[in-house]
Amino acid sequence: MSRRRSVQLALLLGPAVALIGLLFLFPLLGVMKQSLFNPGFTTESLEKLATSPVAAIVLRRTFLLALSVTVLCCVFGYPIAYYLATMSKRWRAFFLYLILLPFWISVLIRTYTWMVLLGREGLVNNALVGIGLIDQPVQMLFTGFAVHLAMVQILLPIMVLTCFAAMVEIDPQLVRAARTLGASPFKAFARVFFPMSIGGAAAGAIICFILSLGFYVTPALLGGRRNIMLANLIDFEVHQTLNWSFASALALVLLAATLILLALFRLVAPERRLHG
Amino acid sequence: MTRFLLGVYFAIAVAFLVMPLVLLVPISLTDSQFLEFPPRQISLRWYREFFVDESWVGATLLSFKVGIGATAVALVVGTLASVAIVRGSFPGRRLIHALLVAPLIIPTVILALALFIVFLRWKLVDNVPALIFAHAVVALPYVVLIVSSALRSFDTTLERAARVLGASPVRAFFAVTLPYLGPSMFASSLLAFFASFDELIITLFVSGGLQTLPVRIWTDLMLRLDPTVAAAATMLIVVSVIGMAIAEYFRQRNVRRYGG
Repeated sequence: MSRRRSVQLALLLGPAVALIGLLFLFPLLGVMKQSLFNPGFTTESLEKLATSPVAAIVLRRTFLLALSVTVLCCVFGYPIAYYLATMSKRWRAFFLYLILLPFWISVLIRTYTWMVLLGREGLVNNALVGIGLIDQPVQMLFTGFAVHLAMVQILLPIMVLTCFAAMVEIDPQLVRAARTLGASPFKAFARVFFPMSIGGAAAGAIICFILSLGFYVTPALLGGRRNIMLANLIDFEVHQTLNWSFASALALVLLAATLILLALFRLVAPERRLHG
Repeated sequence: MTRFLLGVYFAIAVAFLVMPLVLLVPISLTDSQFLEFPPRQISLRWYREFFVDESWVGATLLSFKVGIGATAVALVVGTLASVAIVRGSFPGRRLIHALLVAPLIIPTVILALALFIVFLRWKLVDNVPALIFAHAVVALPYVVLIVSSALRSFDTTLERAARVLGASPVRAFFAVTLPYLGPSMFASSLLAFFASFDELIITLFVSGGLQTLPVRIWTDLMLRLDPTVAAAATMLIVVSVIGMAIAEYFRQRNVRRYGG
C-alpha cells in the first residue's frame, strides 16, 4: 500500500476507530477488568456470582423469560410473515410499513402504552368488565403476563421482518411444482416451503433472544418488584448497593451470552444479511 | 378456508401491533386528572401542561441538542468510515465494520455500565458534550449500515468518468458520489437522530442530573401516571411516524432513481 493511500485510509477511518475505541471497546474492557481484576487477576466476583442466590434466581428468570418470549414470537410471527410473503405486492408494502411502524417508536413509549391499557381502570379491564367476561378489574400490571405481552408486541416486528426476508426469496414455482406433482397444500408447505424458510425463522429467533436478555425498561415498568431481570439487577447493583464488581460480573455474563448467540446467528443466517 | 382464517389472524395481529399506539391519542386528550377511555371531555389540557412546565420543555430542548449533536458526529464519522470500508482493501475491514455496528446488538445496559465507569474516572458525568459522543456511538450503526449499503450499489463508472474528464479524486467524490449518497445520508441521519432522541438507559447511567426527554418520562412513570406523559408520548409517536415516513421515502426514491 502506498504512503498516500495509508494517509487517506487513516483520515477516513481514524475518527470512527477513535470513537468506537474510546467509547465502546475501552469501556467494555473496563467492565471485564472491573470484574476480573482487583488489582491482580481474581475470580472473586465470579465466585460470588456463582454462589449468590439472588443472581441465580434473576439469571434463571431472565433466560426463561427470553426463551418464552422468543417461542411466542416464533409461533405468532411466522404465520404473519407467511401471510405477508404470499399476499399481492401492492398490499404488502402497506402492511409492511404498518408492521414496522411500532418498531420505530421507542421501547419506553411502547411500554408506557401498555401501562395505560393494562391498569385497573385501563381500557382492557374496562372492556372485559363491559362485555361481562369478568365481574371486577383484574390485576394485570406488575405481573409476568404484562411483561410477556409487551415484550412480544415490541419484538414481534423484528421476528416478522427476519422471517419475511427469508420467505420472499423462496421461488413460488417450487411450491407449485410440488402441488402439480400431487402433494396436498399442507404437504407442499411442510416439505417445500417450511424447510426453506426455517433459516430465517432461526435467525429471527436468535435476534429476539439476544434482545430479550437485555430488556430493562419493560420489566421495570410492567413487572414490578417480583419480575426483576438481569439488566435491572445490574442497575440496582450500580446505583443502590454500589457493588460495581458484582455488576460488572453480571454484565460479563450477559456479554458472553450475547457473543455466543451472535456466533450461532452467523451459522444460521446467510452471510449477506449481516453485511448487506 | 385456511387462507381466510390466516387473513383473520393477520388482521388481529396487525391490530395488536398498532392499536396500543393509536389508542394513546384519544387517551391523551382527556380533561380529567386520570387516564380514561373514552375521555369524557376532550381537551388539550395536558398538552398545555407540557408546554408550560419548564422541566418538560427543558428536557425536550436538551434531547434536541444532544440528538442533533450525536447525529452530526455519527453522520460525519460513519460516512467517512463507510467510504474506507467499501472502497478500501485493507486487512481487518470486516472486523472494523462489525465493530462499528456492534452497539446495535450488544445489550445497552452493558454499554451503559461500561460508560458510567469510565465517565466517572474521566469526570465526564453530567457533561453534555460527553453525552453527545456517547449517543453518537449508539447512532453510528445506522449511518454505517445505510451509507455503506448505498455505496456498495453505487456504479463507480460515474466516478471514473469524472476522473477521466480531469476531476481530482476529491472533486470527483464531492461532485458525483456525494450527491448520490445524499438521500441515504439524510435517511440515516433521521434514524441516528431518533436513536439518540429515544435513548434512555445510557443517559440514565451517565447523565447525572441532566434530564433528556426519555429520562424525564422515566422519572415521571416511576412516581405516578400523570396524563402529561400521555401527551408527551403522543407527540413523540406522531413525530416518529412522520420522521420515519420521510426517511423511508428518501431511501425508496434513491432505490428507484439509481436502482439496486
